[in-house]
Amino acid sequence: MNAMNQNSDDHRSLGTEPRGLRRLSNGYFVSTEEAPALSRREFLEAAGFSLSLAAMSGCGRAPVESALPFPIQPVGAIPGRLQYYASTCAGCPAACGLLIGTRDGRPLKMEGLPEHPLSQGGLCAVGQALPIGLYDSQRLIGLLRAGKKAEWAQVDEEILQGLRQIKDQEQQVVIVTSTITSPTIQASIDSFLDQFQNAKHVVLDAVSSSAILDAHEQTHAVRVLPHYRFDRAEVVVSFGADFLGTWISPVEFTADWSARRVPREQSPEMSYHVQLESRMSLTGSNADRRIAIHPSNQGPLVARLADKLAAAAGRQLDEPLAPRIAESDENLVSELAERLWNARGKSLVLCDSQEVGVQTQINFINDLLGNYEHTLDIERPSLQRQGNDREVQQLVEDIRAKQVGALIVAEVDLLYDLAGHESLSAEVGEIPLTISFSHRVDEFAAIAKFVCPDHHTLESWSDAEPISGLISLIQPTIRPLSNTRAIVESLAVWSGQPQAAYEVVKDHWEKKIFPRRRSTGSSQFLDFWEQALRDGFVEVSSEAPTIGRFETSVLEPVAQERMSENFSLVLYNKVSMLDSRHSHNPWLQELPDPVTKVTWDNYVSISPRDAAELGIQDGDVVKVSAGKNGSRIELPALIQPGQHDGVLAVALAYGCKGTDRFAKIGPQWIEARPSVSENGLVGVNAAVFVSFHGGTQRYTRAGFSLAKTSRHRELAATQEYNSLELPPEVAPHGAERRKIVQHTTLAAFTKDAEAGAVEEHFSTETQLWPEDHPKPDHTWGMVIDLNKCTGCSACVIACQSENNIPVVGYDEVRRQREMHWIRIDRYYDGEDEDLNVAHQPMMCQHCGNAPCETVCPVLATVHSSEGLNEQVYNRCVGTRYCANNCPYKVRRFNWFKYPYDDTLQNLVLNPEVTVRSRGVMEKCSMCFQRIEAGKIEARSQGLPIVDGAIQTACQQSCPASAIVFGDMNDPQSEIHLALENPRRYRVLEELNVRPAVSYLRVVRNRDEESQHG
Amino acid sequence: MQQRVLLIVLLIGVGFGLSLLVSAMSLWHMPDNQQGYAPEQPINYSHRLHAGELQIDCKFCHSAAQSGHYAGIPSTEVCMKCHRYVTAPYDQMQQELQLADKEGRKPETIVSPELKKLYDSLALDENLQPIENGTPQSIPWVRVHNLPDFACFNHQAHVAAGVTCQTCHGPVESMERVSQFAPLSMGWCVNCHRESTRDGVNGREVHAATDCTVCHH
Repeated sequence: MNAMNQNSDDHRSLGTEPRGLRRLSNGYFVSTEEAPALSRREFLEAAGFSLSLAAMSGCGRAPVESALPFPIQPVGAIPGRLQYYASTCAGCPAACGLLIGTRDGRPLKMEGLPEHPLSQGGLCAVGQALPIGLYDSQRLIGLLRAGKKAEWAQVDEEILQGLRQIKDQEQQVVIVTSTITSPTIQASIDSFLDQFQNAKHVVLDAVSSSAILDAHEQTHAVRVLPHYRFDRAEVVVSFGADFLGTWISPVEFTADWSARRVPREQSPEMSYHVQLESRMSLTGSNADRRIAIHPSNQGPLVARLADKLAAAAGRQLDEPLAPRIAESDENLVSELAERLWNARGKSLVLCDSQEVGVQTQINFINDLLGNYEHTLDIERPSLQRQGNDREVQQLVEDIRAKQVGALIVAEVDLLYDLAGHESLSAEVGEIPLTISFSHRVDEFAAIAKFVCPDHHTLESWSDAEPISGLISLIQPTIRPLSNTRAIVESLAVWSGQPQAAYEVVKDHWEKKIFPRRRSTGSSQFLDFWEQALRDGFVEVSSEAPTIGRFETSVLEPVAQERMSENFSLVLYNKVSMLDSRHSHNPWLQELPDPVTKVTWDNYVSISPRDAAELGIQDGDVVKVSAGKNGSRIELPALIQPGQHDGVLAVALAYGCKGTDRFAKIGPQWIEARPSVSENGLVGVNAAVFVSFHGGTQRYTRAGFSLAKTSRHRELAATQEYNSLELPPEVAPHGAERRKIVQHTTLAAFTKDAEAGAVEEHFSTETQLWPEDHPKPDHTWGMVIDLNKCTGCSACVIACQSENNIPVVGYDEVRRQREMHWIRIDRYYDGEDEDLNVAHQPMMCQHCGNAPCETVCPVLATVHSSEGLNEQVYNRCVGTRYCANNCPYKVRRFNWFKYPYDDTLQNLVLNPEVTVRSRGVMEKCSMCFQRIEAGKIEARSQGLPIVDGAIQTACQQSCPASAIVFGDMNDPQSEIHLALENPRRYRVLEELNVRPAVSYLRVVRNRDEESQHG
Repeated sequence: MQQRVLLIVLLIGVGFGLSLLVSAMSLWHMPDNQQGYAPEQPINYSHRLHAGELQIDCKFCHSAAQSGHYAGIPSTEVCMKCHRYVTAPYDQMQQELQLADKEGRKPETIVSPELKKLYDSLALDENLQPIENGTPQSIPWVRVHNLPDFACFNHQAHVAAGVTCQTCHGPVESMERVSQFAPLSMGWCVNCHRESTRDGVNGREVHAATDCTVCHH
C-alpha cells in the first residue's frame, strides 16, 4: 500500500499538469483532448500490475511468537501431551469416578474412570461439561461484601466478629447445603458448628428423595437410602423413578441396567423393565413396557401390588392397603405381581414418590420379595441423597420466626429452590449474618451479606463417599484461576484454625479414613494416600447401621383420591439440568433433551389429547396456575406423546438468576433472536410450585389450571427436521416406512436371532465406484448397541468437549443450524399404550461409498486409506453439496464465525482439533486425533495397536458401554465380534453407501411376537 | 504525447515497485513460508557450540521430542545441569583460576553476560544462590519453527520412525543462531512422506500416510 501512495506522489511530482490532461482531486488524470487517450481499463491494468508488485514485496513474516518454557519443569509434564488424573465428579452427589485429561497444565477433557466400581467408566453429560464451568469468565473472581468487592482478611474479621456476637446472644447458626458426600467437608461443617450452642446443618436437595429415607426410618429403624443394585435385578418395576436419566445415580444405574440388556443367540435372556409414569421420562422411553398412569393412581397401584404380594407371601395384613381400583389396573397389577414373585430376590421395585406412605409400601414390597440384601443394599447404603425435608421445613419456620442468627449456604441456591415460599427472601434479608459460598450471584448470594466463592471442583482438594465404604478423592488439576477459597478453608478460618484444604483433607484421611482400611492394604498412611490418589478411590470398611426388623405396623392404607377435573403438575429435572447450579453452562443449555429434543428452554409438556381439546399447539405460550390465587407461570407448551391426560410436566432448574448472560450467545446478526425468553432469563423457574406436604417437598401436585395465551414462542428443538422418517401420509406411493431403527421382541429373537431384519430386496453387487481402495492397515468402524443405548446424551457433550464444537444459541438451533457432530435421534412409534420410543445416536457413518465425496467440487471431503471419511477444512469452499447429498444428514455447516472473543473460555478448546471458521463444512471425524495418538503411541513402542486402546470420545464416556469402536481388519477385536452379532444392521443399507457404522437391533423383552412397536 | 507521459509515469511506478521487490527479494516467500527465518533470541545461544563442538545430543535438551507433540524448549533447569558449573567461557574461567592461584585467593565466580540472563530467569544471584523472594521467570525465546494451527506435526511419531532431526531442521549443529532450514510447506511434507514410504527411512520400511487428516484434524 505504501508503494501505491508513493506511486501517486510520483504523479504529483511532475509539478504542473501535463498538457492535455486535467488532474482530478484524487490524483488521477483525465484527458481534456479528443486525441486517443489511455483507456481507463489500460490504466487500471498497469496500475494493478505495479500494485501487485508492491503487495508481493510487502509479504513479510508471520507475527513473532514467543515460546515460553517452564523455568523449572514439573515432574512428568511433557509439553502438548495429555495427562490423566483420577478424581471424582462433583457435578451432582452421585460422585462418579473421573479421569481429568489435562494438557499443558489445564484440564480439558473429562472422562469416566474405568476402574470405578459405581460409574464403571461412564460419565454423564453434566460431568463432561465441567471444564466450561471452570473457564467461565463470569464466575465470581473474588469475594463480595454487600455486593461490593472485598478482601479476605477484612471479611474474615467481620464474619468472626459477627459469629462471636451470635455466640454470645446464643442465636441459631445454620448451614444449608445440598447433599454433601464429602466426609471431609461434612467433618469441617460439624467441627465448625460445634463452636456454637445452637447450631445445625440442614440438607436441602433441589430434587429431594427425602421420603425414601423417611420410609426406611419407619420400616427399618434407620434413615438411609438403599444402594440399588440394578446389576442383580432381573425384573425392574419403577413407579416414576427416572433412574436412567436423573434419579440418584443415573450413570451407575445405566451401566448396571444396560449390562442386563444383552440378549445372546445362545442365551436369549435379558432383564424385564416396567415403567409406570405420568410423563415421558428417559427411563420410560427405554422400558420394555411403559404404562402411562395418572399421578393420583400411583399410590393405589403400589398399594394393590403390595396387597397381592403380601397374599402371595402369606403375610396377610389386617386390612388391605389399597382401595378399589379399576379392573384394567387389577389385571396389570396381577401381571406385575406374578413377574415379581417369580423373580424374588432378583427384582427391584422403585418409586419417585415423595409420599412417605407410598415409600413404606415400596419397602414392604421389596421386603416381601426378599430384595433387601440382594438388589437393595442398606448395610452399605447410598449417601447420594441426604436431603431432610422436615428439617428444611423447620428452617423455613425458624427463618420466619426470626430465630436464625447466621445462615451459611453452600452448593445450593436456597432462595431459588424454595421459591414457593413467598417473601422468604425478605425474611432472609433480615438475618444478621448471611454467607454464600456460591460461584456466582444467585438468588441467595444476591442478598447475602458476604459471598465467599468456593473453588471450582477442578481447582480444589476434596473427597466423596457416595456409597458407605467407597471413598474417592477430588484433586485439583489447575491452580485457582481467581481469588476464591475452598469451603473447608473458609470454615477452618472461621473456626479459628486456618488450614489449607490439602492439609484438611489429608488430616481427615489420616485420622478417620486410614483406620477404616481393609487389612490387605498398606500399613503406612502415605502409601495408602498415594494409592488412593493414583486410583482415585479406596474401598474401606463401612459402619453397618443397625437395621431393625421390618416394621409392618407403619403401613397405612391408601385412600382413594378423587380424580379432579384440574390438571396435575409434575416437576422434574432435565437430564442436562440436574440443578440450578448448571444453568450457567452453555453446553448443557444447548444439549437437546433426550426425549423432547428441545434446547435452551423449559416448557409445559401436555398430552396430545389435552392439547387437541384446548387447541394448543407446540410453542403456544400457556399459563399454568396453582388454583385461583396461587402462583402462576407462563411457558411455551410442548405436546408430548406418551404423557398421561390431565398431566402437565415442567422442568425445574430454569429461569435462574444470571442466565440473562446468554441473551447474546451465538452469532449476532441482523435477524438474530436472543436465547432468553421474555423474562430475560433462560426459561422460567417452576420451583414456585414446589410445596411442603406431610414433611416432604412435593414435586407432584394436583389442582392446576391451564389457559392458552395469545403469544407464541417457537421452541428450539433439534428433532423434527432431523427426523429420518417420512410420515406415512407424505411418503410416496409404495414407499414403506424405512426401518431406520430396527427392533424385535425377545420372543421373536429367541426363535430367530435375526428377527426384525428388513428383508433384503436390494443388491449390493452393483457399484458405481471401482473397488480400488484397499485398506490394508486398518479399517476403522463402529458398532452401536441400540438395546444398551438409553439416549442419555453423555456422548453429545463428550464430543462437544473433544472436538471444539461451538455453542450457537437458541436462534441458530431454531434455524436448524446446531453444530453437534453426534445427535441422538428419538423415534416414536405407535400411540397411547402402544407407544414405543427408540433412541439412535447418529453421526457421520463414514460410508465406504460416500455420497458426499462424489459431489464435492474441491475434494474437501475424501476417503482415507483407513476407511474414514475425511473433512478437509482448508479445502472446503462451502458449497454444501455434501450436506445435501448425505442420506444421514450429519454434516454441519459453519454459517458464522462463532465467537471466540472470550479468551478465558477459549482455554476449554482442545488444541488437537482445528477451530473451524465460517463457511466450512464439518462433521464427525471418528476422533481422528485420538486414532492418530493411539497409532503413534503403539508405533513408538514398536507394538501393534491393542484393541480397545483407541477410544473415541463418545465411546469412552458412554455409561451404557453401547459404543464399540475398533479396527474391523483385526479378527480378534471386539468390533469384529460385534459385526457378527445377528442383531447387527446398517442404517439405509439399501443405498449401498456401505457405512462403517453399524447398529445392533433393539430387542424388547416382550412375549408377543408382533412387530409393531 | 499524453500517452508517452503516462507511460513514463507508469514506468516510474513499475520501476519503483520492482526496486522495492528486489530489495526484499532475499526475504521474499509465499505468504507464511518462513524459510530462512532466524530471529534474534533473548540469549545469544549457540547451537554450533553445544550440538556441534560439544556434541550434546539434540534429545538431551529437547527430550519431549521422543514422547510428545512438541520437541519443546528445555526448561531453564535443564541448562543448569551444566551451567551450574560452567558460568563463563572456558578460557575466561581458566584465566581466573590461574590468577587466583597466583594471588593465593579463592577463585571468584565469573558470570558471562549471556549466562547471567539464564541465572536471572531462575532468580539466582551472582553466586548462583536463590534470590530471596525471587520468582523464576520463563525465558521468552522466539519461536522459529511455527506451523499454522490447522496443521499438526507430531515429533514423537517422526522420532520413532527414525527421521533424524536434521531432516527437517537442517544442520543445526553448525548454526550459530538457529534459522528455519526447510520451507515446512505442505508440499515439502507430502514429498517426504511419499519418498519415505517408497524408499524407507534410514533403511527401515515405514508407512508415512498421506491422508489429509494425518496432519489436519
